Amino acid sequence: MAHPIGFQPSVIYQDPKAAIAWLEAAFGFETALYIEDEAGGFVHCQMRYGGALISIGLEWDEDFKSPLKLCGKNTQLTTINIPGDVDAHCERARAAGAVIVAEPNTQFYGARVYRCRDLEGHNWSISQAVEDVSREAAEQRVEGMKITGWI
Amino acid sequence: MAEFKRPSLASGVYYQDPKAALEWLEKAFGFEPVMVVINEDGTLGHSEMRFGDGLIYVGREWDDDHKSPASLGGKNTQSIHIQVESGLDALVERAKQAGAKVLREPADQFYGDRSAMVADPEGHIWSFGQTLKEMSYEEMKVAGNRIDVRERL
Repeated sequence: MAHPIGFQPSVIYQDPKAAIAWLEAAFGFETALYIEDEAGGFVHCQMRYGGALISIGLEWDEDFKSPLKLCGKNTQLTTINIPGDVDAHCERARAAGAVIVAEPNTQFYGARVYRCRDLEGHNWSISQAVEDVSREAAEQRVEGMKITGWI
Repeated sequence: MAEFKRPSLASGVYYQDPKAALEWLEKAFGFEPVMVVINEDGTLGHSEMRFGDGLIYVGREWDDDHKSPASLGGKNTQSIHIQVESGLDALVERAKQAGAKVLREPADQFYGDRSAMVADPEGHIWSFGQTLKEMSYEEMKVAGNRIDVRERL
């Protein structure tokens, strides 16, 4: 099984099996690889969305903790770039129990974005490109902002 | 908006000092800064770095829920795995020279990859992998002894 070259987020859960079911229901992630031990205990899982993979992991070491253990703090957030309707995506996630932190809103840089928390308090940002905005146009929309580089 | 297509998933990584992190990640790992947004007050608003086909956002602790591991006793709620085509050992050495703490030295794994793990100056943990031998799930199962590998697509 070849990993794609580049980055792969690895998200830590107290209950990874519940997380896998939730991520499928809320975001449409698909299980690509699931590994368990002889006793049926969770070992490792990779889920696929679009062309990307994400690992679902246990709190396997003192340094890796679910936000549930850290009063909801997150050291990273995963952005999901979707091709389709972000408002519909938000409703699906809400129906699955996501806590919507920021309702869908169109941003100055041309994306429509919402943010939510999953069942263990991981934050996710879901983004749909809705407008092609140049660097100059983006700079003009926010007073005092300076942008270097633009993709 | 040219040839580069945003990947379906991209992590935002939070730092107490994101400007220092941008420089460090370029020096240590060779990530390429492709966008930097500076607010009117001089703080970092947003930034993006590329590596291969991958993209990450490097940001500050912009609200109470988003913190550097340096603010949480070294805990990480997520980490990033970096898959490289070649040169894993040299990359880990380069990171070490830049001040990375090596948590796991490069070693061959039963599933056909060579891997390593390091922590950056604020305690974010990064793992690296390089495939040495393509293996089927059946081969992994045998090599892994007592684990069940299933593909469910």
